Amino acid sequence: MVKKKKSTDETETTAVITDETAAPAVEEDRTFTSLRTKLAEINNCKGVLGYILRNATSATIDLKDPTKLTEYAILSSQALDSGKEISELFHIGDIENILIEGKDIKALCITIGENKASIFMERDAAHAGILRRVSH
Amino acid sequence: MDNEAYAFALKNTLKEIKNISPNISHAFFFKEEKILAKDENTDEETANSTVTAFNAITERTNAIGGLESVTFHGTSGKVNITCINDFYLATITSKEADEKYINTLTRVLVPTVLKLVEKIHPVSIDQDTLTTEKPEPTGDNNAGEIIEDAEVCEKELPMEETAAAEPESEPLLPEPPVNQLMVENLSGLLVPSDTVRIDSAVTAQWKDLYADKKIEKVDVETLNGKTTRCKFKPIKDPKHEGKGIIQIPEKMQLTLQTKKGELVTAKPVVE
Repeated sequence: MVKKKKSTDETETTAVITDETAAPAVEEDRTFTSLRTKLAEINNCKGVLGYILRNATSATIDLKDPTKLTEYAILSSQALDSGKEISELFHIGDIENILIEGKDIKALCITIGENKASIFMERDAAHAGILRRVSH
Repeated sequence: MDNEAYAFALKNTLKEIKNISPNISHAFFFKEEKILAKDENTDEETANSTVTAFNAITERTNAIGGLESVTFHGTSGKVNITCINDFYLATITSKEADEKYINTLTRVLVPTVLKLVEKIHPVSIDQDTLTTEKPEPTGDNNAGEIIEDAEVCEKELPMEETAAAEPESEPLLPEPPVNQLMVENLSGLLVPSDTVRIDSAVTAQWKDLYADKKIEKVDVETLNGKTTRCKFKPIKDPKHEGKGIIQIPEKMQLTLQTKKGELVTAKPVVE
């Protein structure tokens, strides 16, 4: 049976979920940790509403409005699935990122290796700078 | 017939967009689940699958206030789907394509063309899609729905009808086009606070459209619904030509509650 640990760090609303039975590669783990640090910094930027970071074994969520968690998680997951389909249809290679612009909010979904980060921000937030910070 | 005119216009708009931006490999228009027009490179099945994948996202966008656009960046290309005038336009480009340029182009060109067609063939696109009003439905929805060839549309489009529609709208003064433009700052000592500067390509279009009419003012509206009527001048710097830019004095930006990088619409006031 999978044992799950839920702990809060960084901010009060941050949830870290780790599957302890899995043994992720050290490198993968390092990327995840590095991404989590970057996202925590980005989360303090003006206009950023929160983020979801996940890979096969762990997830970190920090949203200013935690009630949106389910909707945001479903949206980012669907965007990544649709991205895969569209990439196959038009042969545009592996999807690096997806920008979803809503009328009120926009979401930037980024894939780095096995890690998938979704950052939610206000419509006028500078997503290009955020993308650069996460990608490098 | 009117819907055929729309299909024809959309099809030719795609053709022009692709001519101007060779980096676009595929392009098509759709509304809900119907493909309204597509280029020759895009097959029906691919377009339908894209719409299905896209609709799966739109169904989940309540949390972000509904979907306006989505861009998939792949390692070797990009797919962008943007809402324009109740339609969605899908463009597939190489990675090198200038996204801003293509967006500006499509957001200026498509609404202008649609507005013109609407003026000549006044029918509500909102009520019926092009395909549902095709004159002789074949019974096979998919096969009948897609406008396969611009030439076919051209043949079917009766020129007499276009000519007949014109006298009805008196001395044919087209409805002023609404152009979506991106805000840039306009500052300096000699800058009048009641005058905006607009992309010269857009003002040239207006001039062409209303050859002998006087256009001195423009209605500027933000996405929040704030509007103002002010004077305008074309931007002289050729670097800005065709980029869909409107330079607004800071004081006016405050009044309109907009700022650099945001989108506004501009409609000429024809006197």
